[in-house]
Amino acid sequence: MLLVVVFVWAVPILWVVLTSLKQRTEIFTVPPTLWFRPTFENYVTALETYGIADALVNSAIISVLTVALTLVIAIPAGYAYARHRFAGRRALSFYTLFTQMAPAIGILLPAFFIIGRLRLIDTFPAIILVYLSITVPISIWLMITYFEEIPRELEEAALVDGASRYVVFGRIMLPQALGGVMVTGVLAFIEAWNEFLFASILTGSQTRTVPVAIFAFLTTEETLWGPFTATGVMIMAPVALIALFAQRYIVKGLTIGAVK
Amino acid sequence: MLREGKGTEMTETGIQAAIRKRPSSRMARAERRFAWTMLAPSLVVLLVVSTIPLIVLIGMSFYTIELTQAWKNGFAGVSNYVRMLNDGRFLSSLGVTAVYTTATVFLQVAIGLGLALALSGNFPGRNLLRTAILLPMILAPVVVGLSWRTLLLTPRYGLIDFLSEAIGLGSRSWLGDPSWALTSVIVIHTWQWTPFAFLVFTAAIAALPTEPFEAARLDRASPWQTFVHITLPLLRPAIVIVVIFRSMIALRAFAAIFAATGGGPGSATEILNLYAYRTSFTSFSLGYGAALATTLLLVTVAISVVFFRVRQRA
Repeated sequence: MLLVVVFVWAVPILWVVLTSLKQRTEIFTVPPTLWFRPTFENYVTALETYGIADALVNSAIISVLTVALTLVIAIPAGYAYARHRFAGRRALSFYTLFTQMAPAIGILLPAFFIIGRLRLIDTFPAIILVYLSITVPISIWLMITYFEEIPRELEEAALVDGASRYVVFGRIMLPQALGGVMVTGVLAFIEAWNEFLFASILTGSQTRTVPVAIFAFLTTEETLWGPFTATGVMIMAPVALIALFAQRYIVKGLTIGAVK
Repeated sequence: MLREGKGTEMTETGIQAAIRKRPSSRMARAERRFAWTMLAPSLVVLLVVSTIPLIVLIGMSFYTIELTQAWKNGFAGVSNYVRMLNDGRFLSSLGVTAVYTTATVFLQVAIGLGLALALSGNFPGRNLLRTAILLPMILAPVVVGLSWRTLLLTPRYGLIDFLSEAIGLGSRSWLGDPSWALTSVIVIHTWQWTPFAFLVFTAAIAALPTEPFEAARLDRASPWQTFVHITLPLLRPAIVIVVIFRSMIALRAFAAIFAATGGGPGSATEILNLYAYRTSFTSFSLGYGAALATTLLLVTVAISVVFFRVRQRA
């Protein structure tokens, strides 16, 4: 059973990695070969000839900035919803939930229309701003859950001692919620790094990300399996590394609403 | 509100009022101001990147916006929606969406639950399993779709096609044959997301109480009876939640299908999302695309309202 599971879920991924290391002639052997001398030719071709190097840089810029902005926006909001009572709190938290449900295509069409009018298509601010529509709502929800887990006594003691709310938030609550910040950041990064729908329309020669650029290897005439799989591996590598080191965080983040 | 506060101060001077009213109302006001300061950036951003676009979207759906035939553009009333009712491709995309969502969610729950039950408890290789099964979920759907299309499903050279031929099922055009294409994209989605169901069910099973199972054992209940009468009812909340989460995601599916089939052959795998995309960016009919996207928005909201009710009862 265990073997079947590992086979079904791991082999397709391993197969991509193996193919990326094969020579052109070894890719199309029947039956498929497992023994070959690995080469990095495909990676070099993808990076140098097909502009994947630039796309990787674009992807990194967009993902990192998206994560940074998401955290700056979502952490304080999550704290306010988790701890403070104010008129409209319930309505606003529902509003946040609602914005998360909106189908991406429903945001993409008007975004394309508006950003086109502003002549901002193919610019970093445009795509990053649009990505916030995906990352901010879910991040606020994650942060609410984490702030709610922190015992109230901590901040109450500080407030009684006369600390301002901002100090309590920055000095006491934020360090306590660092695990949650990690989870939120990691998930927002994965979301932005993998995103395709928005990027396919709103990026261009200046900002094209890797998930869009990878289509260059699949033309109507032929599919360049070697450079394609090499690029696939380069898209998967950062998230796979994160998965390896932050496994616990990711499992928790992905299933948080579902397990509670 | 400000006036009210001032009024209190003016009429209720004296030490009593100061103790009774002012500290608490001042605290409340300070707390309110703090909360709004913390919330303001998120509210502004959500307004700009989500609410305003959705309002513009609904507005666009009442216009004819043809990017390549600008002379046709103008207010169109409800004609986009009327057109939808007579559009066979729209109705077919609704059907594909329904089949795709139901099938992927059902398969994820069934397989995820089966695996979680079979692999509960401690055994060697548990961590390896967790890592292996976590990976598909965090991979870019585009890469997943393209990899399946090329490395696994290409006739003759794809691994699955090769295996299918080796065990005597024969080679076929998995994504090129309309009847197999929908099955293939359902399998791809199920492959990528069953791990989510597996993780949730594993956590739920680990948290099950032991007493009912001991009672069942004492009563000599068969494993099947135990499963139907004890395990399933106890896991009901987890199942409901997985169904909700996964349905919402299946409704938003896009990249993997786009990468694997592009919605084809013909419109065999064209879910509503993809139809709206193709209408807007292949045919450049933004107005009609907006009407389709608005419909998807309404469907999503309607389904989530139903789910919300179900969850509150579960």
